[in-house]
Amino acid sequence: MNPGYARVLFVLGLIVVAGIIAVTRKAWAPGAFHALPSIWRIAKITVAEARRRRVLHAVVVLVVLILFSMTFFSYLSPQEQARMLISGGLAAITVFGILLAIFVGAFLIPQDVENRTVYAILAKPVRRFEYVLGKYVGALIILGAVVAVMTAVLVGVLAIQDHLVADLPESPFNPNLGGVIFAAVMSYCSLAVLTALIMLISTVASTTMTVVSAFIIWAVGSLQSQIYELAESATGATKLVLFVIYHVMPKLENFDFRHQVSNFISYSVYSGWTAVLHGMGYTLVVLILASIFFNDRQV
Amino acid sequence: MSSQEAVLQTEGLTKIYRSLLTPAGVKAVDGLNLSVRAGETYSVVGPNGSGKTTTLKILLGLIFPTSGSASIFGRTIADLAVRERIGFLPEDAYLYDCFSGEELIDFYAGLFGYSRKKRRQLVDELLSLVGMQANRRVPFRECSKGMRQRLALAQALVNDPELLILDEPTSGLDPAGRHQMTQLILELKRRGKTILLCSHFLAEVVEVCDRVGIMYRGRLVAEGTLSDLAGEATEIVITTAGIGEAAVQQLAQQPVVQDVKDGVVRIENADESQLWAVLESVHGAGGQILEITRPRPTLQDVFVRTIGEEAE
Repeated sequence: MNPGYARVLFVLGLIVVAGIIAVTRKAWAPGAFHALPSIWRIAKITVAEARRRRVLHAVVVLVVLILFSMTFFSYLSPQEQARMLISGGLAAITVFGILLAIFVGAFLIPQDVENRTVYAILAKPVRRFEYVLGKYVGALIILGAVVAVMTAVLVGVLAIQDHLVADLPESPFNPNLGGVIFAAVMSYCSLAVLTALIMLISTVASTTMTVVSAFIIWAVGSLQSQIYELAESATGATKLVLFVIYHVMPKLENFDFRHQVSNFISYSVYSGWTAVLHGMGYTLVVLILASIFFNDRQV
Repeated sequence: MSSQEAVLQTEGLTKIYRSLLTPAGVKAVDGLNLSVRAGETYSVVGPNGSGKTTTLKILLGLIFPTSGSASIFGRTIADLAVRERIGFLPEDAYLYDCFSGEELIDFYAGLFGYSRKKRRQLVDELLSLVGMQANRRVPFRECSKGMRQRLALAQALVNDPELLILDEPTSGLDPAGRHQMTQLILELKRRGKTILLCSHFLAEVVEVCDRVGIMYRGRLVAEGTLSDLAGEATEIVITTAGIGEAAVQQLAQQPVVQDVKDGVVRIENADESQLWAVLESVHGAGGQILEITRPRPTLQDVFVRTIGEEAE
């Protein structure tokens, strides 16, 4: 992208965020400090509920089995084995993380509305944005815990494999643990952005619509550079539509370091943190919009 | 707050649900003017779809009125401070079902920002009040319907509310459970709570309420104390024994007599002389007078009559 154009977009983005904050300040400013305990309480019960339902346990067990099963490819050279373990492990973390993000993001709020458990909460001195943020923080903790466990298992498998093949004369086994952890953290950050957007949709759409939209967003968000190239070569209304999609959808591919890490290609940590900062700004806007939409929703 | 002061007030409260199929909308609540005084127990009764639950949801800020206004403790219902002072028992007790009573009470008390110590104290107090101490660790989904309702009431009481809004508190309960819930409501009434109650069970309403409002098609069609609504008793029932068929025929011809059956004579709108004339006829035919009563219309009678009149 043209750097000048990017700067204009960045400033416009800041103006939009400032505008939203200014317009909605009456809704949250007076009790922003008071809101934190409520947000934390709702986040905690969201996490506790997910733990009780034991769905997460099943996901983690499945991923652990997949990771351990990959260690059976003993005919590969240590280097190839490391590449396969890292690539497969990070792919498993990403895929299960995305599935979990989609279902957590799409169901948390609609399920409470459908089951009417939201009644007893909103009848208490809880602002609706506190409820939305509480649910989001809860989702972040759930995703964080699952990604952390899956990453720990992957790191453990790599470390064990490194130890087992240490005496072999062939090419050295490179577990690239730092890179794996970095890629997993980036993957988690992309899940955080995706979950916020899914929650925004869930405040206005049905659960089915939200789940379908979530898969589309994930696909579009992961193909942003291709969409940009298409937009550059397109003309007229198509160009406009593609540019709108490019700028509105989250840039999830900026968080994807799996290819570099598994192929031992050098990567820029700086570009990772830039993606995180951009993602945080994007998530902030999305959560403000989700709070506004949920504030007007009749439950 | 004086007992005559209105704790809750609505003026012209209207809610119209619009959809693609009904662009003109369906009026769920239609110009509702409601006033609940401090310390009283007010019950809104009405058939299904009369707008009771919609009204409660508006008062709690769960849905928004199309027009009109509502205030609680003199503040607009959107004011968060209002919710510091009210408690709500939803119909069919919708609480997170994988948590136990003590976890649920702790969670809801936490939403008021109470310390851990106060939350523990509240868990003990409220579970004792609703008789759930022994089952404090039973997950909500494993509780019986009665236990669920009692837990839902406990969560409504975590902030020691001045105003309690109860939506069908005895719905789906067996007679024993209904009795327990009614006793709890009476206990709360004794403690000076103002209670707004929506119910289908008229017997429970009669037992606990000071005033009743009858809603039909979104409107408040009758309101008052039970005796106000029942009005003056116009019927007199005379229970007799030992009167023959000829005497029954003779009695039936008197203008005030509505019905004579199995020795029971029903007369309507009779003055003293007309009553005496009936009694003398019974006596003259050799009959005995066992009992004379003047039954007042029940809330059930009033309800059926009012809804019937409105339906016409």
